[in-house]
Amino acid sequence: MTRHTLFAAASFLLMAGSSLAAPSTVLDLVEPIADYKIYVSEKLDKLVEDTEAFTAAVKAGDVEKAKSLFAPTRLSYEAIEPIAELFSDLDASIDSRADDYEKQEQDPAFPGFHRIEYGLWEKGSTKDLDPVADQLLADVKALRERITDLALPPEKVVGGAAVLMEEVAATKISGEEDRYSHTDLWDFKGNFDGADKIFQLVRPLVEKQDPAFVQKVAGNFATIETTLAKYKEGDGYQSYDKLTDDDRNVLSAAVNTLAEDLSTLRGKLGLD
Amino acid sequence: MTKMARKNETSLGRRRLILGLGAGLGGSVVARVSPAAEGQGPAHPPHVADAPTGHEVRQDAWPFYGKVQQGVVTPRPANGMVAAFSVLAKTPGDLEAMFRLLTERILFLTQGGAVPELDPRLPPPDSGILGPVIAPDNLTITVALGSSLFDDREWLTPHKPKRLQRMTKFRNDALSADICHGDMLLQFCANTPDTNIHALRDILKTMSAHLVLRWKQEGNVPVVPPKPDGSTESARNFLGFRDGSANPDSNDVDLMAETVWVGAERDEPEWARNGTYQAVRIIRNFVERWDRTPLREQERIIGRNKASGAPLDGGTEADVPAYDKDPDGKITPLDAHIRLANPRTPKSRKNLMLRRPFNYSNGVTKSGQLDQGLLFISFQADLEEGFIAVQRRLDGEPLEEYLKPVGGGYFYVLPGAPMPDNYLGETLIRAACRTTACPT
Repeated sequence: MTRHTLFAAASFLLMAGSSLAAPSTVLDLVEPIADYKIYVSEKLDKLVEDTEAFTAAVKAGDVEKAKSLFAPTRLSYEAIEPIAELFSDLDASIDSRADDYEKQEQDPAFPGFHRIEYGLWEKGSTKDLDPVADQLLADVKALRERITDLALPPEKVVGGAAVLMEEVAATKISGEEDRYSHTDLWDFKGNFDGADKIFQLVRPLVEKQDPAFVQKVAGNFATIETTLAKYKEGDGYQSYDKLTDDDRNVLSAAVNTLAEDLSTLRGKLGLD
Repeated sequence: MTKMARKNETSLGRRRLILGLGAGLGGSVVARVSPAAEGQGPAHPPHVADAPTGHEVRQDAWPFYGKVQQGVVTPRPANGMVAAFSVLAKTPGDLEAMFRLLTERILFLTQGGAVPELDPRLPPPDSGILGPVIAPDNLTITVALGSSLFDDREWLTPHKPKRLQRMTKFRNDALSADICHGDMLLQFCANTPDTNIHALRDILKTMSAHLVLRWKQEGNVPVVPPKPDGSTESARNFLGFRDGSANPDSNDVDLMAETVWVGAERDEPEWARNGTYQAVRIIRNFVERWDRTPLREQERIIGRNKASGAPLDGGTEADVPAYDKDPDGKITPLDAHIRLANPRTPKSRKNLMLRRPFNYSNGVTKSGQLDQGLLFISFQADLEEGFIAVQRRLDGEPLEEYLKPVGGGYFYVLPGAPMPDNYLGETLIRAACRTTACPT
């Protein structure tokens, strides 16, 4: 028994990855964090610009136009979600779901993107959505303001790559995020791009100490890219119900494996 | 008659000792109350939330390597769980890698040992719910394959066991797609539920690239101390009846070879030898309604005395009912559950199967009734002659009023890994690589 246990334990250790960066590499993070801040700023500018057009369409009562702008507008938000979530009040106001409210969709407190999504797809109308649209625009502007003034904590940035994958693994792979519009694949794209951005920025710091890790993570991002590409349509993606069980399994396995691997990224970079 | 196999006398003796001293309440009571009995007052009076120390057998492990897998004829411990997965593997190489890693994890989890320590800035490699050293706790993990694994892979299809099929609805079934089928089923059995959960979490964590969890069901059976003469009784199900009284004796090697294990004489693929078919059924019991049914009616529906488990013509639960003396069903109705399931005729011998059920309790239905029932598990060398034939005979039985099968599936339990160089699934991979190109 002992020999095999040791064998199993040893290979476990190898799998989990045992090499950690020296603490000095924390300094090396300065540049990637600065680059990431620029990335976040660009996404926020785009989010505000897109939300202006989206909410204008809602307020103009143009259901079809609003529908066409819903998923692309969310892309920039989904890409920087871990940073947006640093402000839980705004995140709840912008992106919470009907489940978070006692009376679900009928709850007057149900706000944000998904409240509008519900109106557009389930009701086919923009009725009662004016104040929701105004609040959404005010919220994304407030988010941009707050994040602009924020010094991004390195462990939140690096940890954000795994957080994005946890989001997908826990509550998105099921298709429950965009349950009225079924535009979930757009959200996935945003989440994966956001995680990949963080990974690419710190990749040079990990590559030398653990090339196998870098290769495995890059491989899983590539798997996701290839799988999502099958569902491309115009500038975006097909409805989530077009996703085959087989491809859902492929995405689910890749997302969970990325969540496992990226959860070691902080430690590998010497961050506590 | 003892139907449950015993691993060794030491373990039995020790268990008996504990149960005898603690009156079934567990070792902590024994250890902590005895000073008080001597008038000294307890040095460490037990707290309500103290972990019960009753499981002295936590250090006991079943050997992993063997001709057949553990968890089939191995004595059933108190807690069981089945988990069904989708398998990602597209090629023989992928599938082999999955089997090898799974074998490695099962070996570690069932034999126990220390969890490796990593830098605390990294996530720990283990959930930690069993502490830093994993106790084997009699854990067995049994690997079985579903029909879809073979059907969805052209190179594997020719190797599918002859009787492996997707479970289809019987007349009283209301199968829910969310808790049916799967490419692979893992059955976990251990003394404590935490050991099963720990093992599942380990496999999910270490095998995320290979497996996607589809559904799971946990269950348990009551611990019943052996009688003074060492004999044991069948556990009761949630209908209050003993379940498993007519199970074939799992200690009888020849009988197991005849009824459970696929041998050379069967028309099954050679790779499948020493495997077995596993039928899993999640059978909801309408317990409120059952409890409002007159006792005599309950007993006539089941065909046994509720208190003792004996057949309706008397004796003990180990006695065989004499249906030949009751051809019109005056004592045991012709449609009683046990009579339909096992008519005890020479012809019905080929329908024997080995049952390994657990009771489950999941919560409350929308109607405010208890969602509980039986996690039925059976093993048989021939799925059609075993479970399927028996269930067809049961179709329309009076017990159906109180049951609703809602989930499960059919699976093929892989042969064991005989030696330390072997892995589970090896014979299948070798067979597949004879008919398709495999990486060397």
